[in-house]
Amino acid sequence: MFGRYDYTFQIDDGGIKAGIERRDGLYCYRRTCGEKRFERLLASESGGIIVNPVEPVNLPKEITNFLLIEFDPVLVEPGSVNRFYLTFPVEIGVFVESKRDIEVLDIIGLDHQKYTLYGPASGGVIARWYKSKIYPDIPEVHPLMEGVMELTIRNTYREWVTVSQAVFESYDMKLYYNDIVSMTAQMRIITKNQAETDFLDTPLKPGMKKSIELYTARGIPSIKKGFLMEWGLA
Amino acid sequence: MNVTSVLETPVGYGTLTVGSILSVIIILIVGIVIAKIVAMNVRRALHERVPKNDLEILTKIIYYVIVAWAVIIALPYLSIDLSGLLVAGGIAGLVIGFASQSVVSNLISGLFLMVERPIKIGDNIGVEGISGNIEDIRILSTVVKTYDGIYVRIPNEKVFTSNITNYVQNVARRFEYTVGIRYQDDADRAVRIIKEVIWNHPFALKSPAPSVYVDSLGDNSVNISVKIWAPSREWWDVKTDLLWKIKIELEQNGIEIPFPQRTLWFANDLKGDVSGRDGGS
Repeated sequence: MFGRYDYTFQIDDGGIKAGIERRDGLYCYRRTCGEKRFERLLASESGGIIVNPVEPVNLPKEITNFLLIEFDPVLVEPGSVNRFYLTFPVEIGVFVESKRDIEVLDIIGLDHQKYTLYGPASGGVIARWYKSKIYPDIPEVHPLMEGVMELTIRNTYREWVTVSQAVFESYDMKLYYNDIVSMTAQMRIITKNQAETDFLDTPLKPGMKKSIELYTARGIPSIKKGFLMEWGLA
Repeated sequence: MNVTSVLETPVGYGTLTVGSILSVIIILIVGIVIAKIVAMNVRRALHERVPKNDLEILTKIIYYVIVAWAVIIALPYLSIDLSGLLVAGGIAGLVIGFASQSVVSNLISGLFLMVERPIKIGDNIGVEGISGNIEDIRILSTVVKTYDGIYVRIPNEKVFTSNITNYVQNVARRFEYTVGIRYQDDADRAVRIIKEVIWNHPFALKSPAPSVYVDSLGDNSVNISVKIWAPSREWWDVKTDLLWKIKIELEQNGIEIPFPQRTLWFANDLKGDVSGRDGGS
């Protein structure tokens, strides 16, 4: 499903039907996903279509930049470096491109969306919530619904620390895809209740393609790198 | 003829000399240059915080105050006695001061509002009984567009000294419903159904967790209290959306919201015959 297409593109995969047809002298993008439908006319003759995974914080509408992944509590030894795999929700971005610019046309998601508050109501952040299991190896996932995140946790604090959630800022996300969607993230535990999270710009497996992220397509400069989790790790 | 003698040469008008006229020109030029530099820096410093129109007014005021200050310094060189001007200026200042008291008060309040920032453009607020979205925060006033789309200008002094309710200052807020069900309905099941409906709504926050419980046994219904947290900027949509979904889901599961009813007990059996309703007799 992911890839680069011209205006003849038609896809029908995993319950998502999308394509472009000619209507009244214009091109019309149409998509159905379950009961949801979306249409948009295109005043363009020679554009291209790109379909790839994007930062999963846009549906049903964009209200935050944060993704919170909750998992079973893990007790992390002081000074240790631990690597394991989580899953995250996949959102599929459909972009229309011309020689001069690229624009988001549609965002599709098959998974149920749920949001949560991380931290206090005054000063905390709203985040897209997702529950994942912890895997020692890359798990098998439905590629249009779930992606795989490699998370490396470094405990630089002097005590054992329990971690059961990780919050990530979408501006920093680096997505790769081929048969699965992936991200590579790290968490550095600073104190019992604080940690820094950020992403590495590396694919999970060799040969994966890099996604066009939304903040790149929208021309938003990524100044801030990483997120400081200051309201607890569990 | 040396420079000193040139500067002391009378120009033929009172005691004015070439030197005093040169001094006036230099003071005025320096004053104008300082005024331009200060105004430019004020414009640069505040251009993101203050609306363009207000910023123009503010920089003009600063510019002319500095120029006026340079003129006052220069006037003695022209042998103009300022004592009379000061008396007149003092009286005028007093009059202007009294007249512009509220203007200055609004101006200072506006500056404090910009520094303290209890409200921002786009916020959803309630102040002095007026509720709506903030359209603009100006030097002297704050403009609110009410939910009916009406333009309201509130003087900044009133905003600053009033209790401000900012509905979106916190990222999340709670709202609640009371859902009444019939006494014969299973309240535990109703609570489960309501929790499921809340769970299925993306913006009904997972944490803080919603609270759903039997709150009271009313005259006509068992009242279930439903408390839900939502993102502040979405709470109204969530509130209106969820209430109807809860109602539909309860009804689809055979749980109904009762009408007010009263059971009447008669001391003696009724003598009348009500069978005619069905039988037509």
